[in-house]
Amino acid sequence: MMFSGKQTKPTFKSYLPPLQTDLKKSPQLPIKKLEAKLLPGEIVVNEANFVRKCIGAESSQDDLWGKLVCTNFKVSFIAHNALPRQRFQCTHRLLGEHDIPLACVEQVVTVNDVKGKQKILGSNQKLKFNPTELILYCKDFRIIRFRFDEAGPESAKKVCLAIAHYSHPADPQLLFGFEYVGKRYHGSTGERVNGVDPGGGLQTPLFDCSSDWDREIKRTGASEWRVCTINQGYFISPSLPEFFVVPVSLADQDLKQYACCFYSQRIPLWCWNHSSGSALVRMSNISDPQQQRKVEQRISSAITKSHPLRSDVFKSDLDKNLPNIQDIQAALLKLRQICVIDSFEESEEKWLSSLESSRWMEYVRTFLRYAVEIVYMLESRHVSVILLEKEDRDLSCVISCLVQLMCDPHFRSLHGFQGMIQKEWVMAGHRFLDRCNHLKKNDKEESPVFLLFLDCVWQLWNQYPAAFEFTEVYLTVLGDSMWVPVFSTFLFNCPRQRAEHSRDFASSKSIHLGQDQALRFPPVWDWSQQFSLKDQTLFNNPLYVGKIATCVQNGAVKTFTHRRSKKNYSSTLRGLPSTLRNGSLGPNDTLARRNSLVLRLRSDLSQVREQQETPSERFVRDFFSRPVDLQGLLLPQLLPSHLSVWKLYFLRWVPEAQIPQGGPITTFHKLSVLTDEIEMLQNQLRQYQGAAVTPNNLHAEHSKMYFKATSTPHQSPAPLEYLSSSFPFSPVGNLCRPGILGTPLSKFSTEPRSGSLQRRWLMRRFEGRALGYDCEVTQTGRSKA
Amino acid sequence: MASAPIAPYNSSPLGNSSSPNASRESLKMEPLADVAMLPGEERVIDKDIIYICPFNAAVKGKVFITNYRLYFKNTDSETPVTLDVPLGVISRVEKMGGASSRGENSYGLEITCKDMRNLRFALKQEGHSRRDIFEIIFKYAFPLSHGMQLFAFLSQEKYEENGWNVYEAMEEYRRQGVPNSEWRITFINKIYELCDTYPTILVVPYKATDEDLKRVATFRSRCRIPVLSWFHKENHAVITRCSQPLVGMSGKRNKDDERYLDLIREANGTTKLTIYDARPNVNAVANKATGGGYEGDDAYQNAELVFLDIHNIHVMRESLKKLKDIVYPNVEESHWLSSLESTHWLEHIKLVLSGAIQVADKVSSGSSVVVHCSDGWDRTAQLTSLAMLMLDSYYRTLRGFQVLLEKEWISFGHKFASRIGHGDKNHADQDRSPIFVQFIDCVWQMTKQFPTAFEFNERLLVVILDHLYSCRFGTFLYNCESARESNNVRVKTVSLWSFVNSDTSLYINPFYTPESSRVLYPVASMRHLELWVTYYIRWNPRIQHQQQSPVEQRYKELLALRDQYLKKLEELQLSDSAPSSTHLTNSSTPNAATPNQHITHLQTPF
Repeated sequence: MMFSGKQTKPTFKSYLPPLQTDLKKSPQLPIKKLEAKLLPGEIVVNEANFVRKCIGAESSQDDLWGKLVCTNFKVSFIAHNALPRQRFQCTHRLLGEHDIPLACVEQVVTVNDVKGKQKILGSNQKLKFNPTELILYCKDFRIIRFRFDEAGPESAKKVCLAIAHYSHPADPQLLFGFEYVGKRYHGSTGERVNGVDPGGGLQTPLFDCSSDWDREIKRTGASEWRVCTINQGYFISPSLPEFFVVPVSLADQDLKQYACCFYSQRIPLWCWNHSSGSALVRMSNISDPQQQRKVEQRISSAITKSHPLRSDVFKSDLDKNLPNIQDIQAALLKLRQICVIDSFEESEEKWLSSLESSRWMEYVRTFLRYAVEIVYMLESRHVSVILLEKEDRDLSCVISCLVQLMCDPHFRSLHGFQGMIQKEWVMAGHRFLDRCNHLKKNDKEESPVFLLFLDCVWQLWNQYPAAFEFTEVYLTVLGDSMWVPVFSTFLFNCPRQRAEHSRDFASSKSIHLGQDQALRFPPVWDWSQQFSLKDQTLFNNPLYVGKIATCVQNGAVKTFTHRRSKKNYSSTLRGLPSTLRNGSLGPNDTLARRNSLVLRLRSDLSQVREQQETPSERFVRDFFSRPVDLQGLLLPQLLPSHLSVWKLYFLRWVPEAQIPQGGPITTFHKLSVLTDEIEMLQNQLRQYQGAAVTPNNLHAEHSKMYFKATSTPHQSPAPLEYLSSSFPFSPVGNLCRPGILGTPLSKFSTEPRSGSLQRRWLMRRFEGRALGYDCEVTQTGRSKA
Repeated sequence: MASAPIAPYNSSPLGNSSSPNASRESLKMEPLADVAMLPGEERVIDKDIIYICPFNAAVKGKVFITNYRLYFKNTDSETPVTLDVPLGVISRVEKMGGASSRGENSYGLEITCKDMRNLRFALKQEGHSRRDIFEIIFKYAFPLSHGMQLFAFLSQEKYEENGWNVYEAMEEYRRQGVPNSEWRITFINKIYELCDTYPTILVVPYKATDEDLKRVATFRSRCRIPVLSWFHKENHAVITRCSQPLVGMSGKRNKDDERYLDLIREANGTTKLTIYDARPNVNAVANKATGGGYEGDDAYQNAELVFLDIHNIHVMRESLKKLKDIVYPNVEESHWLSSLESTHWLEHIKLVLSGAIQVADKVSSGSSVVVHCSDGWDRTAQLTSLAMLMLDSYYRTLRGFQVLLEKEWISFGHKFASRIGHGDKNHADQDRSPIFVQFIDCVWQMTKQFPTAFEFNERLLVVILDHLYSCRFGTFLYNCESARESNNVRVKTVSLWSFVNSDTSLYINPFYTPESSRVLYPVASMRHLELWVTYYIRWNPRIQHQQQSPVEQRYKELLALRDQYLKKLEELQLSDSAPSSTHLTNSSTPNAATPNQHITHLQTPF
């Protein structure tokens, strides 16, 4: 109804924020200057006033009035009347509450509902009608709508065209990161500005120098492997990093010779060593068929030589066994369709089968299963593995990371995980620029390979939440950061491209790079770029076993950080003969639980030999018959019944799917508070022992936990009203069912029929609840007026 | 709630678990010693047998049958393979293959269980070797079909607390704030004269006389008149439950029934009473043919009727059967999601939950409601109890949940005996249906969505479902109070709650945060409803069976750690304040002052 053609003028109420809200706001904002907050290098391109941002799905009552601004970085909406309830959200340091980075805009759709016209806008296009509505489909599954009923038709059109144009940059150097980094970190004189070194003091290894690789070689005990520097200056391979690791037995001369046989001269890359000495290696196809056999043999025998047991090499062809990048892209598009575009109610009925036909979950499972197979080869067969992929820049990244994540607890720590992404994605040359389609030039190259990887990680995380130092908020935010185009991590196809663009941009803008190789794009791992320290604590998993294994012994508090010494590491991780493992557990297990009901709860069937089982299935079953060591090998449960949809990522913007005051966050909240309390007590105990530690008053700032213990400990923390299954994201302001041609959501205004009454009712409940606070305030304001 | 010091079931002189009969084959006792037998449990037979494990090859071993369970232990390998199955879960025993059947292990028994699994055993083909074991299982699994008693009546278990005292109707109504000026307690059903499937104590509108009740009873199926289930203390809205009105093809009306519903409406000044008919509209219409029906608009002018589209017991039975097909023995892998969808199990869960949400919302907004289906003992019990769980945080405690089950399900005559078929051989009985399982599934869905709102954990729900079938406790036996009374269940059997409450720590959710006034609205959407894999897919050995959710376990560890620290701090503080304290020599004095201040408030709870 309210979106239909004839639009009444906004009421007095709509323009002026009610008195009540003003009281709650900080006093310095009584007169609003509706201006976008700009970052260094950011300029306003176009803007329109009196634009309405649609908030509620049902009525326009909660919509916001304000100014729509397009800059060279973002689409910004500056509201007259801000939503007071957004206080709990993390505040993004680069983006305001209603801002969307242009890089996050997937599609710009303009609508004129009077004329019944709709057009998807690309770059440099014309628009023959005056838009009454603008819908932005975002890469992170948000859908944002603006109405121009009160805006000047020309300015509405212009701002739409500007958004369309600027979200399709013609050249990588037009991506905002260049201007931003140039202005922020490289003054026009070439001096460093602010003295800030992005990424300085970062604990995450970037693997852009040989020392990071050396450390990794030492950490994994890969003594028969060495850092190779022949690609310095990118003279050998355009897509390889300057430093990578190769078998000791291969001399630089050999490598240079072999390089030309490989696709894009990509010499095989060492990824990681299993504690048994087996190596994980990734390799591109050999383009020269005549050389294939010879080169392959030389590489294999070199890898064999680097194995302490001289074990064989197992070659695994990823292209043959895994979905390709177009498959993955198609799956995500279908998933997006059912998650946020289809009507919530209509898609309910066929939700499961639609989910299946999107194939997203199937692919997640396929990748996980594939990684498990590789783990089996390394862990049980003790052979080295070569991951073979045509270009070695997509599927290999996923599989090699998943394998490492399952095998090596180091990568389940925050810095280990980040280092792994540097190593296997950024440095190995995953084409982030193309896969993200930042330039929106080549849709065929676009593919959410990284998101698929994050989903696989989430599945592992979901099955073993205490094994990871980070949270699902972290994984979600990491996925979102792909669309903030300022990070070195996600802007380029490979390190060389970064260096080249930096050089070009620097020379065109007369920036002196000095001793820097490239512009100082911050890596995404410099989280302070985006979030306050407090908000970053949302990344810390209070369940993580690696960190908080503390106990009190004879009055002394000992903290075991579980940093595995190498010896320790190998003794638990190393593949014991599986027969040994079997016997040790079963009987004790039964005895301990004798006479308890539990007996019936556990599996009646312990491990028994079986003929038809493949060895790798047996390996998996053996794994599941033992208690899990969170600091050891982790295999995911692969039955489709045991994989879930990553709701926080995919459904966070859907108001109907939000569980108010519920969801996993409510346990996270309690865990966080308890962990914080324990930290506090530890500090107090240390003070008793006279150790020089952080004083108590500093505790609050140093706490790793987002939710803090109160001053009255061991009281159950009261549940926070603003928690919901979408926390810390808010579905408010993101419409998930945009109707076509200006008649959206018409079904919500029709009279309910008996059969689906409860569904409609559910809708109402959500809106009422989500916006309850606002409504209340508004009514008070109105009655006063 | 204090348990009686001497409970009747405690009076048995037999104190030891080793019953005299068990010595019959004392030589062969050893293998069964893996599992402690229950007091009152007796061994009946044991036999060499081959267990055809669907996940492994055939396993040679020995099966032991007692009057309570089937226990299997392998003898062919060091890695133990055991089965421990209460005979109560068996729904069907069949012979497979004949004496002349070919092929290895083709001669034996197939046992279908009520708890989502099947068991197959093979025996030697010579000499009718399966005849005796088949007959014994058949007899002991279905004692009622053989003129024998259920194990609950033979059990000699003893517990500190008498679980039969968990629920006292008067006490529960008083807790709710009843009786009051609007609602009164009636004893009209004291000897089950008004309605033989209702409890003795009923709560009805204050203004309705006992004579009124009798007349209303004539117009309600099986005399199940509308009575109060729950009373909202603040707004005085109520949930009432009943069976369908006997409208019939001719569209009969009954002035007394109409007036009675209006009394319910009037009690708190509700403008329009909402009647939730749990059934799909068409089913309600179809019921007219058999004399039932629904409240017509003309007759009940101050009421609005809402159909909740929940299907009947037969549909639910078939749905769960389909679910079993896709999870046992193997999980359907290639088209899991669409297979799951085609069972409609989650869809049914969704409809039940969203029905309950509507009831709860209506009541919390101040309007009284009437809930019924056909007879008012299946879907009605689901809806009222779930709505009560949403509205009243008491029912989310370990105790309160027991009270809820005792009240809405057991005392109000959910036909457990018919729905489960305890001890009855007729496995194809059309009266059987997993209505209660479905309800527990709904509760589980709620606990998943609100992990801090329930005092009990998933384990309690699984234990409840296990003993729904086991026949070890009297709690879920019989169809109604009157039958339970005439069979002396409270005296002759042990309550499940005696067992549960003897070790509550197992069932406590460490994340529980009491919130007295919060109404819990789960999201009844396919996006959030999940298959309860830890219940439905628990027999698959490829799945790790965790005793406890890892998160729950970790939280408990952290709680223990915190307590350890607190204790340590207290000790340090005590020794600190002692004049001759020496051990803090190293600590600087300014530092020592700070912790003191901080510890004072930490210590108050000790």
